Amino acid sequence: MTTQESRKLWLSCGVGLLWFFILLWPLLGITPEGLEFGKTFTVFGYVAVAAVIIMLFYQVQQAGQLDFVETPIKTASGKAKKIYDSMPRWALLGIVLAAAIIYPQLTERYAHDVAISVMIYICLGLGLNIVVGLAGLLDLGYIAFYGVGAYTYALMSLHFGMSFWLCLPVAGLTAAIAGSIVGYPTLRMRGDYLAIVTLGFGEIVRLIFNNWMSLTNGPNGILSIPRPEIFGYQLKQLWMLYYVILVIVIVTIIAVYRLNFSRIGRAWEAIREDETAAELMGVNTFLLKLLAYAMGATFAGFAGAFFAARMRFVGPESFTFLESAMVLSMVVLGGMGSIPGVILGVLALVALPEVFRGFELYRMLVFGGVMTLMMLIRPEGLWPASRVGRRSEEAD
Amino acid sequence: MKRLLALIAALAVMALVLTGCGEGEKAENVLKMGTMSPLTGPYAADGNDIRQGTEIAIEVIREQGGIEGFDDIELFPQDTACDPKQAVAAANKLINEKVTGVVGAYCSSSTIPASETLAEENIIMLTPASTSPKVTERGLTNIFRTCGRDDHQAPAAVKFMKDVAGVKSIFIVDDKTTYSQGLAEGVAAAAKAAGIEVLDHDHVNQGDKDYSAVLTKVKAANPDLFYISLQNSATGALMVIQAKRMGVDAVLMGQDAVYHPKIVEIAKASAEGLFCTFGAIDKDADAYKTFFTKYKAKTGNEPGAYSAYAFDSAMAYLKAVQAAGSADPVKVRAELLKLEFVGASKTVSYNEQGDSGSNYTVYQVKDGKFVPYWNSLSGEKY
Amino acid sequence: MEFFIQQLINCITLGGVYALIALGYTMVYGIIQLINFAHGEFFAAGGYMGVILISYLAAQGLHPYICLGLALVLSMGYCALMAMAVERLAYKPLRQASRLAALLSALGVSIFLQNGLMLTQGVYDKPYPTEITAGGFEWGLVSVSYMQIFIVVLTIVLLIALNLLVFKTRIGKAMRATSQDKVMAALVGINSNRVIATTFAIGAALAAAAGIMVGLYYGSVNYTMGFVPGIKAFAAAVLGGIGNITGALIGGLIIGMVEIFAAGYISGEYKDVFAFIILIAVLYFRPTGIMGENVDDTRV
Repeated sequence: MTTQESRKLWLSCGVGLLWFFILLWPLLGITPEGLEFGKTFTVFGYVAVAAVIIMLFYQVQQAGQLDFVETPIKTASGKAKKIYDSMPRWALLGIVLAAAIIYPQLTERYAHDVAISVMIYICLGLGLNIVVGLAGLLDLGYIAFYGVGAYTYALMSLHFGMSFWLCLPVAGLTAAIAGSIVGYPTLRMRGDYLAIVTLGFGEIVRLIFNNWMSLTNGPNGILSIPRPEIFGYQLKQLWMLYYVILVIVIVTIIAVYRLNFSRIGRAWEAIREDETAAELMGVNTFLLKLLAYAMGATFAGFAGAFFAARMRFVGPESFTFLESAMVLSMVVLGGMGSIPGVILGVLALVALPEVFRGFELYRMLVFGGVMTLMMLIRPEGLWPASRVGRRSEEAD
Repeated sequence: MKRLLALIAALAVMALVLTGCGEGEKAENVLKMGTMSPLTGPYAADGNDIRQGTEIAIEVIREQGGIEGFDDIELFPQDTACDPKQAVAAANKLINEKVTGVVGAYCSSSTIPASETLAEENIIMLTPASTSPKVTERGLTNIFRTCGRDDHQAPAAVKFMKDVAGVKSIFIVDDKTTYSQGLAEGVAAAAKAAGIEVLDHDHVNQGDKDYSAVLTKVKAANPDLFYISLQNSATGALMVIQAKRMGVDAVLMGQDAVYHPKIVEIAKASAEGLFCTFGAIDKDADAYKTFFTKYKAKTGNEPGAYSAYAFDSAMAYLKAVQAAGSADPVKVRAELLKLEFVGASKTVSYNEQGDSGSNYTVYQVKDGKFVPYWNSLSGEKY
Repeated sequence: MEFFIQQLINCITLGGVYALIALGYTMVYGIIQLINFAHGEFFAAGGYMGVILISYLAAQGLHPYICLGLALVLSMGYCALMAMAVERLAYKPLRQASRLAALLSALGVSIFLQNGLMLTQGVYDKPYPTEITAGGFEWGLVSVSYMQIFIVVLTIVLLIALNLLVFKTRIGKAMRATSQDKVMAALVGINSNRVIATTFAIGAALAAAAGIMVGLYYGSVNYTMGFVPGIKAFAAAVLGGIGNITGALIGGLIIGMVEIFAAGYISGEYKDVFAFIILIAVLYFRPTGIMGENVDDTRV
């Protein structure tokens, strides 16, 4: 790095810090009692020191002083990649599966709880991945289908005494129907108009959950939903539920994988890349877009039914817009259209707030910051799909 | 640029690991407690009140020499964000930390699922704020409630309307939460039974700031009393300000969630004359005074609506552990049922179900302060 | 009748607030096709800056109206600076990346700013000195407060100013050029980075103005206040035809009207349902919004 470059770097760092100070001081320093700098300087001091340390690190690294650490890491990761590439696919999957199976035996219930959350979100993420990642339709109200699934199981099991395993496909079906209902009027719209309409649908569904007292018991939610049973044996322990959702996730992964590489999956991708061209090539875009919504919703319905069984309580608070946004974040962060990517994205976004639990009040602040940072580092996602072009609507 | 960012991420991870390591050493026999309340999101204000109230209780016990058999008391505050899923995650986290007693949660919709999770490990949970009757009516042996119940508050409020305020018609508005709607329905039913005409029962949504449409209706209906059942004091302040501006002449009455020193600070003159039902707090009692001075010294704020209940919940638990000589849940439960002490909020004693009774009092805002106006138990004005 | 007139006045006030927020959304969207989720947070930050400055200036013994005017200008400037910083750090590096990446970055910024406000300003609502603008007129059942008039007047003034800026000035021309074709605009010598930064700054300044209006009108601000109006304003912007300034005003008024009349004549709990149903219905028949142009498919 030349001196000039380095000077430029430090200059921009300085300008950034100054700017930060200008933004921070009015929030902390202006009080009716007068102007005050103490608090601002304390906070600013921490940030400035952190920034300078990072800059120094960066410079040292650029100058090649860190090669003694970096080179071995690089060679090691290169070796690991070689091993990964040379291993057959089934062996890798076997290792992951085995790890997933013995996981509950090695860990405690908090870890089970987080793992169950992760797997619920994997179902949701993979479902949304069909809509957003494969068919390229932006959906900001996806969580509504999750809610439909959850309420379906809750109501069916309480009113008709239906078992969890019977309700699971029914929940998927009702969610798929809801998906088609939402999908139908939105098919004419593209891009961000689609986004706001799906957002609107999501909110409408949530408000109905909250207001239709006779059906959903409104804000009180539905209590004491039965646990899943196997041959009359109630699955009371958390780790038993872990295996239930593990099975659901495996089924979902296989289904999405098969869909992805089927005629339908290719048609979806054609629609994503260029809708007009796809239509010209004889793809029935109307039906396939509707199908994308329905399929995506189905998996959300499964996840929802399980969620209701696991919490033994459903209430409208669980299905807010922020949840939709989180699921979308998982898909985009992980890498749209790629199954391992979505799983990675889910792991990152569910695990992070849990890791940050120790930060207490700073938890969500750090979370927001890290989310933006990850997007900046890898805008294409952590594990991007191999065949993704630019969406037609993004081309200028 | 990319590398720089990667580096930042690496540093963040390092910092995380380091802070993780720092927590390694701990005293040997520590009594572990948790709180569960919304520390982020729209209800963070009330959530913080609960956490701070609990912290003060621990401080008080520490100053009294701690608890015999334990070297120290450690508190694990958890964020529920008023979301059932996060509440269950927080409960599981607390189980993992081997916590034996929990103060929380705030929203009834968090308390209910979380208490079931905690019940699996038989961890005592004392809620300072969830007033829904369902909380203690599910046959769980681990749940206790220090605050009152909605089905006691509604009759108390209606008794006040009929006997003291002498109103003939009321208009009810709630904001569609488990708590606020349940209470509003209770008031509507009790009012009808008492021969008060309920002109309308309307709703607003959480997160709304503009209540002008509903208030125009209130003004047109011209009730004697306007009953406001909202989830927290901030929305209560919005409603009161807009009602006064709109020129609603009716007597304004709120409930325990609206009762908070902040409402006077925000609504200022508009809050003048507002009635609220809240548990009777004897501000001259020693327990309350110690609590108040400590709270103000530590946080710089006056205690919020639920701080005193959180304080009493934690005190009750700690006293029970002290009496039992161990944190064994069965013994602690037995002691909690025997317990009777004068707390900051009221005289605390729990019945078999876990309830501690309600002693609702009507307060009125006068010269920028809540002053006790009428006691529902004795039926007398102060 | 009086009931109806009162509700109409309520509509115009609420619609004005939504329109002010929607303007920022629509401008940013018009130029870089990004749904700026952090916009609601600029609105909240503006509200907080307003109360901080008004109480500080009032403590210095200035006349309340001067305080208010100064606070309005300074908060708008503050939010403009904040928006430029956010744009530079979180959006500019992603300009070449997929639009969803930028959308998520915006979501992250929104969470970050919201919690930043919580940590610096506390979790409790901050009271506004509402005495400054108290009072109003009353005819029978109908009452209009000065604040409502103020909101409507300010919305109109800012809207006219914005229209003049976009259609009569050099920078406005550059904005329109950039929004139509970034590459072409750059070829004819327009510094598109600067134009985009300016757009962000203006949008955030409008949001700040809205934040102060809301604070004064409703009496308090808090750190989550940006979220719900943010979504409503986004809906308003899309309804009016995103990217169109007059559309934002019309959209804001329609959303405000549907909400108020649904709450006034039907039921308060379903008012948002009606607002979104109207939105969906309008978009079903006019997929690019009320004022939206019929752009060819490849560019939407």
